[in-house]
Amino acid sequence: MNFSRLLSISRSLKLSTSLFPPPARLTAPLQPRRSVRTSPSSAAYAKDLFLGKVNQKEVFPYPEISNEELQEINQFVPPVEKFFSEEVDSKKIDEEAFIPPETMDGLKALGLFGIQIPEEYGGLGLSNTMFARLGEIISMDGAITVTLAAHQSIGLKGILLAGTEEQKAKYLPRLASGEHIAAFCLTEPGSGSDAASIQCRAKLTEDGKHFLLNGSKIWISNGGIAEIMTVFARTEVVDKDGQKKDKITAFIVEKAFGGVSCGKPEDKLGIRGSNTCEVTFEDTKVPVENVIGQVGDGFKIAVNILNSGRFSMGTAGAGMIKRLIEMTAEYAGTRKQFNRKLSEFGMIQEKFALMAQYAYVMESMAYLTAGIMDRPGVPDCSLEAAMVKIFSSEGAWICTSEALQVLGGLGYTKNYPYERYLRDCRILQIFEGTNEILRMFVALTGMQHAGKIITGKIKEMKKGNVGTVFEFCKQKIMENLGKTANFGLTGKDGVVHPSLAESATMFEENVVEFSSIVESLLYRYGKTIVDEQLLLKRVADILIHLYAMTAVLSRASRSISIGLRNHDHEVLLANNFCKDAYFKINYWTAQLQRHSPENNDDNIKKIAQFVLEKRAYTCSHPLDRTF
Amino acid sequence: MKITRFLMRTQHAGWITLFVKTPIKPSCFHAALLRPPIPRICIGQEARWIHCGSTVYKDKPDNSDLSKLFENETKAKSLVTHDDLFERTAKDAKNKASFNRVVDVFNKQDIRRRGHVEFIYAALQKMPEFGVERDLAVYNKLLDVFPKEVFVPRNFIQRMFNHYPRQQECAVQVLEQMENYGIVPNVETKVLLVQIFGEKGHPVRKYQRLMYWLPKFKHINPFPVPFELTQDPIDLARFSLTRIANDLDAKITVYQYPSTDVTETGEEVTQPHIVGIQGPEQISLLAKHNPNRPVFVEGPFPLWLRKTCVQYYLLRADLVPPEERVQDEPDPELVGPNQCLFYPWQIDLDLSRDMGDDFSYDVEDVEEGPVYAMCMAGQGDQATLARWICGLQETNPILGRIPTVFRLESGSRELQTAADVQHDSGQNSQSGSEQEHIIEEEQLHSQRMKQ
Repeated sequence: MNFSRLLSISRSLKLSTSLFPPPARLTAPLQPRRSVRTSPSSAAYAKDLFLGKVNQKEVFPYPEISNEELQEINQFVPPVEKFFSEEVDSKKIDEEAFIPPETMDGLKALGLFGIQIPEEYGGLGLSNTMFARLGEIISMDGAITVTLAAHQSIGLKGILLAGTEEQKAKYLPRLASGEHIAAFCLTEPGSGSDAASIQCRAKLTEDGKHFLLNGSKIWISNGGIAEIMTVFARTEVVDKDGQKKDKITAFIVEKAFGGVSCGKPEDKLGIRGSNTCEVTFEDTKVPVENVIGQVGDGFKIAVNILNSGRFSMGTAGAGMIKRLIEMTAEYAGTRKQFNRKLSEFGMIQEKFALMAQYAYVMESMAYLTAGIMDRPGVPDCSLEAAMVKIFSSEGAWICTSEALQVLGGLGYTKNYPYERYLRDCRILQIFEGTNEILRMFVALTGMQHAGKIITGKIKEMKKGNVGTVFEFCKQKIMENLGKTANFGLTGKDGVVHPSLAESATMFEENVVEFSSIVESLLYRYGKTIVDEQLLLKRVADILIHLYAMTAVLSRASRSISIGLRNHDHEVLLANNFCKDAYFKINYWTAQLQRHSPENNDDNIKKIAQFVLEKRAYTCSHPLDRTF
Repeated sequence: MKITRFLMRTQHAGWITLFVKTPIKPSCFHAALLRPPIPRICIGQEARWIHCGSTVYKDKPDNSDLSKLFENETKAKSLVTHDDLFERTAKDAKNKASFNRVVDVFNKQDIRRRGHVEFIYAALQKMPEFGVERDLAVYNKLLDVFPKEVFVPRNFIQRMFNHYPRQQECAVQVLEQMENYGIVPNVETKVLLVQIFGEKGHPVRKYQRLMYWLPKFKHINPFPVPFELTQDPIDLARFSLTRIANDLDAKITVYQYPSTDVTETGEEVTQPHIVGIQGPEQISLLAKHNPNRPVFVEGPFPLWLRKTCVQYYLLRADLVPPEERVQDEPDPELVGPNQCLFYPWQIDLDLSRDMGDDFSYDVEDVEEGPVYAMCMAGQGDQATLARWICGLQETNPILGRIPTVFRLESGSRELQTAADVQHDSGQNSQSGSEQEHIIEEEQLHSQRMKQ
């Protein structure tokens, strides 16, 4: 397969006109970097996979927390768990679409409104890892999870990330205690992810002390109960040339400023207890001190908040599945059919294996990412966080559905919580960036990273530089003949335990294939790759699975090395997942190759175009006749 | 193909005259008639005798009338009898019932069905006149006129040569006419043809070919026009406008319903209907129109719906000259990689698409001026169309500031059939001034094209 691609590349080389330019080796012209994020990227594990590099130092060994921290978190967990299992009535919250004040008070007393706010501002000041641990328990109720996430993962993140000392001192203590609840107001009727179409506008008053805010925002989680909101609006900025331009600015808006009204809470499918509504600003007077960062910095702030907030859902799915497995297993162990327990049937067993595997992988990915994020410096883990979100939101949906299936008709009734879990976890695939958009983010960020480095090489090849082409061919032939993919994960000084060696080899093989596919995609599409969404989707899927493989390999190696309980089971799960992922990745890689028979994209596009043109299902009814 | 068929037909026509002059050899008829009747075969739920078609045995309407016709028929012995037969029956009304009655009369008059080929040819010609050219039952009835079993070849020599060519050609002609009108035959047709000409006769072959192709072509037109157009002018306008616009977002507005009022002085004032269509894209284009440049109401343009011609009017403008085009300057800060909050909208690479993967091709786009709206009206005069523009101003307030120029040609009537068109051109030769007017308009058009 690879060889045929090689041939086709060399064929297209013949077409290029200028032959034999002076040989140059991998001189990638470094373009001025225009990155979306502002934080320095010290960790680049996932990005470097695009180049076929495995930065094992980033992910091996699996990150650990100190014993003190472990004790601390173990002190935190039991009261929270007790509170959620005893005092939170999820069924009632779901039915009444309202979180009762007693429950809110309990959450406030536990300090769950300020998990990541530093201690000097009255929060718990927990690390990402500890936050993730709490997230597992909080996920017992979807509505509360979302309320808390909207409050602290995005609502007050702006102040935390880019606020001044005065802003922090003024707002954070009350937010940490839960006295005030925060909301994040970005989405507008005409603007989902498109920053340019934000219509909300803030105008400086003549005295220059206030902004007058006008406009409306929709689907604001906590919109009805929030006292403090992070609002993004257009402002007029005079740039260097003296021209006036519209730029996005972030504001801290208190409801007490006046002119803030919110609509009726939306009636939702799931997470019904959380408050979602439209918020309208009408001549709201916002003091200039309440601008977050600089005027015109809103875009960067919004992107930063979204990228860092996404992680908060990472462990929610895993926590939920773990509980579902317990509940469902009990049923499967007691219910008898044909004098055999349900748990003896193969198809039921398969479901449990699937759930366990998903839970294991989701946990591994989430805590690996949390561990990387907790490292000193400000590591850029936006790519990893997005991958965790995609994988766990989809896993959660599949597993909930399978758990419900085990119960059959019972699972479909409101007597059991499965239907509620199913409804609640559906939102995971939608908010904080839909999974489709995040896939684009993952794939394009990686492509950009890889492109910067290999552009020079590709250009040389396109020009027909014999040296580069020869080297390229040599490399490809070596890869194909010898399967020399070896990143030193296994073997004498390997970081992966020998019982996982086979999986590690598969992983290495996949990384090599992936990097060569990335190269060929860049060669074929260049910057027009942004329009090839079906290809990018597969690129993102491959990367997600590679990252998941890394996470399970790393975690299982650690477990087996330090002798955690049931580590042999972990090895089994890890090996099983890696094998699964290996074949999936192989398939996707095959689809991404040129002239691949597995690739059905053209037909998919044609079908969709026809249907969309007619805006209807277009086939005749099977009972129709012509004569 | 057509020509050969035509030649064949003329040949046959010549032969027919010869054939009729000479006495018909009755042997073949007798042979069939003398044989004992085959008991019954069942087709669908209807049992019938093979020798005579089902229609023959159905109860006949007004027997007295029929017998009278029959007498008349027997008196007249000339070639044109069949045409005459149709003419005489159709005195009262030319419709399916009277057509069927003629066929019944013919079937009744002679057990030998003498002259049935000529009768069928005559009937085929008369079908459009009676408005039954799209009626499958009538075609089947017509085929039923053929005597059964007589023409079925009974040995290999007969099968090898063209057995009863004149009859076969006639049946093929019936099927041919069905084909031309797009009528798909049914099982009854097949049973009749098999009974008349046997399994492998030319008509059955023709039937098989029809059954292969016609169903495939039945839905070949992605924009079908119904055979029966609606009579309501507003519905017709709706249909025509959606057909031209072909835009699912476009909205149809009825600006004026047709009505007739009688004023105090006793004059009748007719309000013509005005139906317009405009899509959201057209609205936004019009909103961007430079108010210093005029928009034109042009028309009427013809639209043919089968045999009906309707006329529509356009609100359009000239192509904006390149120097006046306003580029929507996108904010560089908001557009570009920073436009999307979630992922890089563009990636910053110095690589373009590889030749091998570039499947785009050059399309020569001829730019035309924008069309802002379309309408159909009961009358094509300026006053009526001005009312349309007034109606449009509700959704397009900018129209109030744009000069509107009416460039109407002298087409006045909304509905015209093919016959009307011929009629018009035949009778009223247009006055010279009007023709000049048209020429002027044409010159204007060409001048604009040159600009």
